Amino acid sequence: MAEKAAAPPPSKPLTTQEWETLIEDFQNGVHHKWNSLDPLFDLLLSSLLRKDFPLFLKLQLLVFLDEFSLSFFTSHHHLLRLVDALKAVVHAPLDVVASTYKDQFMVSASSILICASEKKVIDPQTENNLVELLLTVINRPNFGSDRHTRGVACECLRELERWKPGLLSDVVGHLWSLCQNERTHASQCYLLLFTSVIHNIIVRKLSVSILNTSVPMVPFNAPNCVMDSGSGSGSDLNVKELRRALAFLLEWPQLMTPCGMMEFVYMIIPVAMALELQPSMLKVQLFGMIHSFDPVLCHVVLVMYLRFLEAFDGQEGQVSRRLLLISRESHNYLVFRLLAIHWLLGFNELIFEKTKPTIELCSAFYPALFDPLALKALKLDLLAFSSVCAHVLRLKSGSDELIDPVKLFENGLVCVSSFKWLPPMCTETAVAFRTFHKFLIGSSSHSDNDPSTTRNLLDSAIFRTLQDLLVNMMLESRRLVPVVVAFVDRLLSCQKHSWLGECLLQKFDAHLLPKVKMDYNLVYCFPIFDRIAENQTIPPRGLLELLTNFMIFLVEKHGPDTGMKSWSQGSRALGICRTMLMHHHSSRLFLRLSRLLSFTCLYFPDLEIRDNSRIYLRMLVCIPGKKLRDILSLGNMILGISPSSHSTSFFSVQSPRPSKNFKSFKNLSSCIHLERLGPLLVKQFWSLSLSNLVVSNTKPAYLESIRDLKATVEEKDFSDSSNTEIIPGRINQPQEPLRVMDSKVAEILNTLRKYFSCIPDFRYMPGLKVRISCSLRFESNTFNRMLGLDKTVTSLEEIDALPAIYATVLKFSSSAPYGSIPSYCIPFLLGEPYNKDPASQNVSLSIVPVGVGNDSREEEKYRAAVVIDLEPREPTPGIVDVHIETNAVNGQIIQGQLQGVTVGIEDMFLKAIVPSDISEDETPRYNFDLFNTLWEACGSSSSTGRETFQLKGGKGIAAISGTQSVKLLDVPATSLIQATERHLARFVVGVSGEPLIDAVWQGGIIQNIILEDASPVATSVTNHDTGPLRLTYNDEECENGAISNSRKRNLGCFLVLIFLPPRFHLLFQMEVGDVSTLVRIRTDHWPSLAYIDDYLEALYLS
Amino acid sequence: MSSGCSIRAIWILNNLDAVVFSRKFPVVEKRWRAACNADNDIDQLFASLPTHSDLADAFLDRKHREGSARGFGIRKSNSTLGSDSWVDDPITRHIVGLFINKEEEDIKNLLWPLILHTKGLYSILVLPLVEPRHLVAYARLCKRSDCGTALGMDDGLSSLLLDLPSVTGAFMVAHAIGDIITGDTVEPEVIVSAAPSVGGLFDSLTGSIGISSRAKPVNPPVASSSPSSTAVPGSVTADAPKIGSRPLDKDALRTFISSSMPFGTPLDLNYSNIFTIKANGFSATDLPPPDQKQPAWKPYLYKGKQRIMFTIHETIHAALYDRDEIPDTISVSGQINCRAELEGLPDVSFPLAGLNAANLEVLSYHPCAQVSDQGLDKQGVMFSPPLGNFVLMRYQATCALGPPINGFYQLSMVSEDKGAFLFKLHLMEGYKSPLNMEFCTVTMPFPRRRILSLDGTPSVGTVSTSEHSVEWKIVTSGRGLTGRSIEVTFPGTVKFAPWQNQRLSSSSRSSFGINADEDSDNEAENASNMVNEEHLMEKMNKDLPPVDLEEPFCWQAYNYAKVSFKVVGASVSGIAVDPKSVSIYPAVKAPIEFSTQVTSGDYILWNTLGKCPHVATIKRSNREDNADEFFNLISADEDLFIIHPSIRSLSTSLGTEKNKAVKKNENTFYTFHPLISSISPPIKGSNKIDQNTSLFISLTT
Repeated sequence: MAEKAAAPPPSKPLTTQEWETLIEDFQNGVHHKWNSLDPLFDLLLSSLLRKDFPLFLKLQLLVFLDEFSLSFFTSHHHLLRLVDALKAVVHAPLDVVASTYKDQFMVSASSILICASEKKVIDPQTENNLVELLLTVINRPNFGSDRHTRGVACECLRELERWKPGLLSDVVGHLWSLCQNERTHASQCYLLLFTSVIHNIIVRKLSVSILNTSVPMVPFNAPNCVMDSGSGSGSDLNVKELRRALAFLLEWPQLMTPCGMMEFVYMIIPVAMALELQPSMLKVQLFGMIHSFDPVLCHVVLVMYLRFLEAFDGQEGQVSRRLLLISRESHNYLVFRLLAIHWLLGFNELIFEKTKPTIELCSAFYPALFDPLALKALKLDLLAFSSVCAHVLRLKSGSDELIDPVKLFENGLVCVSSFKWLPPMCTETAVAFRTFHKFLIGSSSHSDNDPSTTRNLLDSAIFRTLQDLLVNMMLESRRLVPVVVAFVDRLLSCQKHSWLGECLLQKFDAHLLPKVKMDYNLVYCFPIFDRIAENQTIPPRGLLELLTNFMIFLVEKHGPDTGMKSWSQGSRALGICRTMLMHHHSSRLFLRLSRLLSFTCLYFPDLEIRDNSRIYLRMLVCIPGKKLRDILSLGNMILGISPSSHSTSFFSVQSPRPSKNFKSFKNLSSCIHLERLGPLLVKQFWSLSLSNLVVSNTKPAYLESIRDLKATVEEKDFSDSSNTEIIPGRINQPQEPLRVMDSKVAEILNTLRKYFSCIPDFRYMPGLKVRISCSLRFESNTFNRMLGLDKTVTSLEEIDALPAIYATVLKFSSSAPYGSIPSYCIPFLLGEPYNKDPASQNVSLSIVPVGVGNDSREEEKYRAAVVIDLEPREPTPGIVDVHIETNAVNGQIIQGQLQGVTVGIEDMFLKAIVPSDISEDETPRYNFDLFNTLWEACGSSSSTGRETFQLKGGKGIAAISGTQSVKLLDVPATSLIQATERHLARFVVGVSGEPLIDAVWQGGIIQNIILEDASPVATSVTNHDTGPLRLTYNDEECENGAISNSRKRNLGCFLVLIFLPPRFHLLFQMEVGDVSTLVRIRTDHWPSLAYIDDYLEALYLS
Repeated sequence: MSSGCSIRAIWILNNLDAVVFSRKFPVVEKRWRAACNADNDIDQLFASLPTHSDLADAFLDRKHREGSARGFGIRKSNSTLGSDSWVDDPITRHIVGLFINKEEEDIKNLLWPLILHTKGLYSILVLPLVEPRHLVAYARLCKRSDCGTALGMDDGLSSLLLDLPSVTGAFMVAHAIGDIITGDTVEPEVIVSAAPSVGGLFDSLTGSIGISSRAKPVNPPVASSSPSSTAVPGSVTADAPKIGSRPLDKDALRTFISSSMPFGTPLDLNYSNIFTIKANGFSATDLPPPDQKQPAWKPYLYKGKQRIMFTIHETIHAALYDRDEIPDTISVSGQINCRAELEGLPDVSFPLAGLNAANLEVLSYHPCAQVSDQGLDKQGVMFSPPLGNFVLMRYQATCALGPPINGFYQLSMVSEDKGAFLFKLHLMEGYKSPLNMEFCTVTMPFPRRRILSLDGTPSVGTVSTSEHSVEWKIVTSGRGLTGRSIEVTFPGTVKFAPWQNQRLSSSSRSSFGINADEDSDNEAENASNMVNEEHLMEKMNKDLPPVDLEEPFCWQAYNYAKVSFKVVGASVSGIAVDPKSVSIYPAVKAPIEFSTQVTSGDYILWNTLGKCPHVATIKRSNREDNADEFFNLISADEDLFIIHPSIRSLSTSLGTEKNKAVKKNENTFYTFHPLISSISPPIKGSNKIDQNTSLFISLTT
């Protein structure tokens, strides 16, 4: 902004400050704001020629013009004007123009001309004019005052000659004579100019006579050869003359500055080679420079030496020694000492075969105390190089006289040995480990055609030494473990040398693990353990043993002060286990790792650790290897946890997950199936939901299975079973009803009291549970399709290719009164192979044949057993809704609704509870008695109706209000017995009638029951059958015709006692006949009668 | 490529990483472009030079990536592929690569080799011209994904640098520019007995020509031309710029660059010549010598009263351990400064004597010198002196006279904040007149502890304390110690302020790559009320910052005392120039003056009771092996005798097993004569007789 405002109109000359701003802007690459100054070049030129312009600014402008010439010299005309201006300046007397200005003008003009040629063709005349002008300047040898200007003009000419080789070849004779004549300090420039012309003559093979001065110097015309682009214009060099010139040139090196010498040598070497000069000539003249302390001169000698390696044969020792000495000169700048060692290394690489002399010198490579660390590092490189040489030579000659590399290594390392106790990030450590690396990989290069073999390196003494060194280092100074890890990592990450890292880890496994001390400091070693755990070539045995011991140690040492420590160290140890799980085959780990994990989850004092190890154990057991590794590494990918960074808690899976992974799937139920293991007998399902009819908030009291003791008992109205209303007055009836009891009733009451006191009151304690076994499975193909994975499973065998779901959580809910249903977790499940019969997968509701067949075992791995635990408040069928949440292999979270699970009345069937004081032998008798007692109590004429019974826990009470029913089943006795044996065997408490007993005996399924073969069935039954139940009466009437028959063929009677949670009962008395059976049913939960009918039909008639 | 060294561009950045000066050489740049175009495979190389802002950005970017302007130098765990430290070579702290436009770190954007020289507040970047293939080779080096170069097998940096004299030249340029920026254009000191010292080239001109000129360059208090080792030991970083640098003299820079390398190719980097030419110019009366060519490095000829002055300046580096298992090391680095006020272009020659006695190791000369007849004990030096003061020769030697200060320093921490110390020193033991110790000061630095009080009186001298050091002036200037030796002791206790953990900022710690696992669990275990020196050391060392690669070791980790002194009268190495044997051709009568000055460099007394850094020496325990090694060493070198600094301790064992040794090498005859033992007897109370009894070996074939 400011600059733009300051920009004056083009006509006015710029001030000093403005010029400086302009220059600065150009240097910063912002030209555009000065574009308004259109004839900037004119402005520049006029400023340069003004007399009142300050000299320093003129010089600055000249340099500026030079640096940015490309943006000014847009036309050939500009160059012409520039040269004209130069002419004016050069010819001006000295008192008018300062010589520095003159010099700079010449330099800038030449430079601009050369650079402009890149963009556009230069008029040859302009070029000739400039050369001519410069030639006139230099053509005054030994003139006193302008000697420096002449030198600069020589440089300009040299630059032009470099630009167009051969440009001055025509006037070379004049140049030589000038060279011979000039005696001031500018003679170096003359010599260099002449050398450069000679050099170009030889390079371009120009056949000119360098003695010929017949062509006048001025006016100058560029020779033809410049125009030809080809090099071989003239084939025959004038060798004799050139040799004379070379001999002349070689007389004067001592006149030159070191920089001039470098230029000179670089030009003279090709000349000398072309003219086949004896290299010894150069050597005599120039080799002495190696004793100079100027690094440039030393390098010049090296350049020459490398060019004429044969001629200098035998001089290697001297050169290397000198280089070594430069590195030891504490006067020198550090960088030159470093360079000297690099030269020595590079030089020895070149003459690898001849390096023997340096090996003897290698004790001189030992770093000195006050050498800077950079120098020490490079000197250690030299030692490493020597050890490589020694090794190679030893292999070649087979002699043992050479220096021991291990000794070199150890002695060299002394200079940075403090790294063992200094902080691990100190520079000494860096130098030391760098040296380890150099020594270790030795001569094993990274190129593919490297001849050195693995064996060589592994057998090398250095490797053994280093391995011991590292082991001891880690044992002594645990701070260094991360450094060692970094070192191993460096090797591991290298394609060529990863095996070296592996070998080191193997050695650590073998040598470090047995030696570590079992204490809290062990955790320092964990980074290296982690690397060992990662490595598949190392058997995990040792490490697992160590970790087990460590866990034991942690458990044993645990105390009030070590809480955090136990936690952090335990979790880090588990982190290593995790690493192992990720990198090894589970089979390899299984035994020891499971032992470690189970120990941890049993005994570890910290809960989190226990949990985590349980999870790992579960994973180890449930998830097959590859899936396991995938899932573990997935965690790293998503959450960015590297396996080694368990500093706080490795188990940070709780951190926020990317939301895009949450996805609900609507049609989930079409591919994931939760199926009942045992099918329900009743296919059609219906549920009597009386509660819906109830308007009031509270449940009808009679449906309320248990009441509180305080709310005392209420009467049950047996006869009016359909009445759902509660009579409020009765509830508040405070006093116990008066009762008259006979001994029989008392006995019944006693039995019932005792019995009910065993039934848990679900309101205060875990109620009785009903378990429904299911299995979960899912179809691979549908699943993949759903996830968008385009992966078709082709073969059954490819388990790894099958999809899997992880950490599946099934949540259940139901509208039926089943209480809260605990969710169920499945750690891992494989998808079913695709070629399963699709028909069988869609029959989740139908009855699955009990014997699934031969492939059931095979299928087990594709199914997960799920147990739904219901805690019914009421024994009623219902549907359990299933919600699934699971993870796919790619970390995607899948959630959705599955097909509900049907719960039938039969699921509610439980065996009656046996009080604990009843011994096993007495159980059948007890059950039998209980049946009779309940049968009595549920009878219509029961005298227990008003009685209440305390439940377990003493808070709740229950009353019995019985109902009865009958059902005639037209089934033959044999099939009835079979069906009973199959489905109701558990609940049969008594069998009477000889033929039936025999049949049961034969079946051998119904056992431990009371067999009443003595008493006649009919009487025993009819005795009880005295109730006013009409239905029964009608039934009897209806069956009148058949009675005589059936009686005759009455085989016996089953007594079945079924407990319905939470506290109800279902009692069957089945009078088995040959062709039909009469089932008398009593229950204290009348709604269940509704389902029983269907059930019995399904059981016996289908 | 025909050019040895050409510079594409020079940039100077200030401490705010802004470019304050730049110079580009379009002619060289054109050659670079031509070279790139010539090679079709690599035409994608970075073809144009960056603007100031781009360069500054790239420089800053590298600084962030590499932790400092110079960089790590060694591959660390946080080195990134493609960066300089990935190459894993300390020299990448000096030869750096910049990625211009960092978005795409591609070879296309790589600017290499940039010579980085830090001087004062400024960073000087010099970009020499290399061949495109060199750049490609380096890019390959820093992009290779493997674990690092194998020595001698892979194409490493070494062979690249050997092939690149332009890098060497660019370093010379960078250093010359650095000197100009900071005004360190002082010529080497030449001491004259009468006047304090003689000025530089300019004086010799003004003295004769009579032109008044610009102000004399300011002499630093201790003139020393040796660039290294002037830094105080323990100074934290070399990267840290010195405070108080003067503003950039851009005019001087422009003049220097334009004159020394008009087209980017350096011709002469001698700034005193350049500035003299600029200031004085030449007149028609300045005639060149009639029958000789005037060297380029001597633009003017001297006129006036003729004389030659030599000053031998030696610096003693010593590490005194006073331990049986670690031998002391003493080395002398010396130089002969010269000023020859002679008319015309004469040659001066003199024989250098006493080479063997001095165990002279390194001899390197000024480019003007020619070395003839390199004998074992004698060396003739002939040189054609330039104008003004110059360093004629440099050498490394051992201390023939024995250490000027010998003894021990013990410091023991009696509690965490209190240390008891004891000095027992011998000064000038065996030093005869005219050797004169002008001053001698012992400093105990405690850079990481604050001194509360000091208790104790030395037998000689005065003591003063500053916050972080104790200074004991034994000999003060004005009361020099001539021709006699003294023994001094200084027992005392020093009390420190309680130790506070100086936590490093997390950034600097992590920048170093390896994050040490600092489990706080373990703190409790170490805590014990007992005074445990090991423990204290450990505690203190825990947060020691890493030193730069330019330091020899982590100074702050050790307890030591540093001795500084100055001895005049004779050289301690035994090297001498005999004024009588100096000859001038063509012969003129010119008085020859000769002086010496010995100063201390790193002269360290390591705490005998603490840790100390040391280097490998050939141990005395397995004598025979080492003796063999030693003889291998000698027999390999026929003409030059390479002696390891540690050989003094070996020589004892050689002496005792002389016969054996001679038998093994029958072609060579060795003589041994004890020399030092009479000069430096062991200190009483310390059992060091074996160790200090050193022998010198003279070798005759």
